[in-house]
Amino acid sequence: MKSILGYLHSNVTPGEAGNLFWVAVYVVLVFAGVSIGVIFMNWFERKVMAHMQVRIGPMRVGPHGLLQPIADALKLIIKEDLMPANADKVVFWFAPVCVVMTAFCTFIVVPFGRTHAITDMNIGVLFMLGVSSLGVLGVIMAGWASNSHYPLMGSLRSGAQMVSYEVAMCMSVVSAVMMTSMATGTGTLSMIGIVQAQMQQRTWFAFSFFPVGLVALSVFSIAMVAETNRAPFDLPEAESELVAGFLTEYSGFRWSLFFLAEYTGMMAVSSIATTLWLGGWLRPFPNLLGGRNWDLAFSLVPGLTFLALAAFCFFFYRRMPQIRSMRASAIGLAAFGCVLGLLGIIMLLPGVRERVQDIYWFISKVGFFMYLYVWGRTTFPRYRFDQLMTIGWKVLFPISLAVVILTALIGVRQELFALVWR
Amino acid sequence: MTVIELVKKFFMVDLFKGLWVTFRHQNPADLVTEQYPMERPVISDRFRGQPRLIKDAAGRTICTACGACALACPEKLIKIGSLRDPETKKKVLTSFDFDMSRCMFCGLCEEACPTSSLKLSPEYELALYTREGMQLDRDKLENGIPRKEYEK
Repeated sequence: MKSILGYLHSNVTPGEAGNLFWVAVYVVLVFAGVSIGVIFMNWFERKVMAHMQVRIGPMRVGPHGLLQPIADALKLIIKEDLMPANADKVVFWFAPVCVVMTAFCTFIVVPFGRTHAITDMNIGVLFMLGVSSLGVLGVIMAGWASNSHYPLMGSLRSGAQMVSYEVAMCMSVVSAVMMTSMATGTGTLSMIGIVQAQMQQRTWFAFSFFPVGLVALSVFSIAMVAETNRAPFDLPEAESELVAGFLTEYSGFRWSLFFLAEYTGMMAVSSIATTLWLGGWLRPFPNLLGGRNWDLAFSLVPGLTFLALAAFCFFFYRRMPQIRSMRASAIGLAAFGCVLGLLGIIMLLPGVRERVQDIYWFISKVGFFMYLYVWGRTTFPRYRFDQLMTIGWKVLFPISLAVVILTALIGVRQELFALVWR
Repeated sequence: MTVIELVKKFFMVDLFKGLWVTFRHQNPADLVTEQYPMERPVISDRFRGQPRLIKDAAGRTICTACGACALACPEKLIKIGSLRDPETKKKVLTSFDFDMSRCMFCGLCEEACPTSSLKLSPEYELALYTREGMQLDRDKLENGIPRKEYEK
């Protein structure tokens, strides 16, 4: 009991403190949070895509279609769970489990704040990249176990694609990891350490060694789209050629597990990008606009954002058509606005706002990448497979190599100059 | 390739142009879809939908049972029944059967009608549960197909 309450005053993650109770609580919280994020992303993606395509998107289930993902999830769970007659039963069963497990495992090391991570590993980035690339195993298993042509083709493509983009991705990660050693002389792979290094060096790594960091970030953000099999690199599920790729034989709950894993994977790689280049949980300008007053001002932002969202809800509540069939969803929207407003007020409280703002900044940075995902998906048509490989090996890989070499050279520039002028 | 083109290609300007197009169109003012059961499309008066027999102001049919529409119909789906009124020596319409299931809405019957009593109205919601419902008799042609309004 003492250790449970004692942790609340500590300043480390529960994993570091070795506090099993809080580790369990954090695991549940992260799992629930990520699942809610997936539900929200489903709605958000459909809505944003619809607006970009000059449509409205889901409108009927709940106010502005807010309950649509829940309705879809219910439908998928109720659906018959089909398994092809000649499928490899065990592998077919295990493939979605494998994909989901790897996708969620990556969140063990994601730092939502200095204390808001399940644990801090000294090999954090490596762990994340390693575990998330295990997901390809699940995809290949799914394709193989389905005992069907399209899934097999899809999973082969997926394997080739993920393996080849991993190279460029890891190279750009290496450049960011090298940047961590600039101030102290010793680099770190720990996710929390990387963010603290950015705090120490007074810059996000996206802007250090301009434009090297920015190029590394762009390489990573292209590679991560390919890595998660999203459009325009969604060749494994290219419906015009492969029906639905490795998902073809999956239906119902198993399919929804793949879906869950896909969105979780998107969030995981986005949080790598956020941690490595966009300063993780750090608020904008923590050094430049430092001091008491600025701290207070920035800590009010999360609460105010929620209040603004609540106001937005009430605005749309007023604009709802005044007809009987829309009555229930109008009231629902108002209730949702009330909940958001209440959350906003809670986040404005003195004790809470310091704790919450880390999570808020982290999530808003991840949300930026999520928006980029959706934006790219609506804008760009799908690449051909040879074009995909060309981009991966002939464009991104050399660029990322060059970025690594440049980072190293700029990092040791003083020593180099000393060597030359001696 | 000029230098400008090379620079444009290097910085992938066309990709960003595409991104800007999709970003711009998120403006809700650009919406072109309508929420169908709640918002109704505006249909032109010239739209050829459900056939109707027009009545005059007193509520009498203006069809003279001349049979021009039945002759004009390429599908021969109009059947007209008429009697000769012994007093006025005029033809009187007794029945008007229109098989809408075979109709292709060409509008030739409408054009052939000398009194403009047969009209293909802009009514467009013609889905039905049975084929028999497509057989329109005189009552349905004059007063419209009775339909149930569903909530939601």
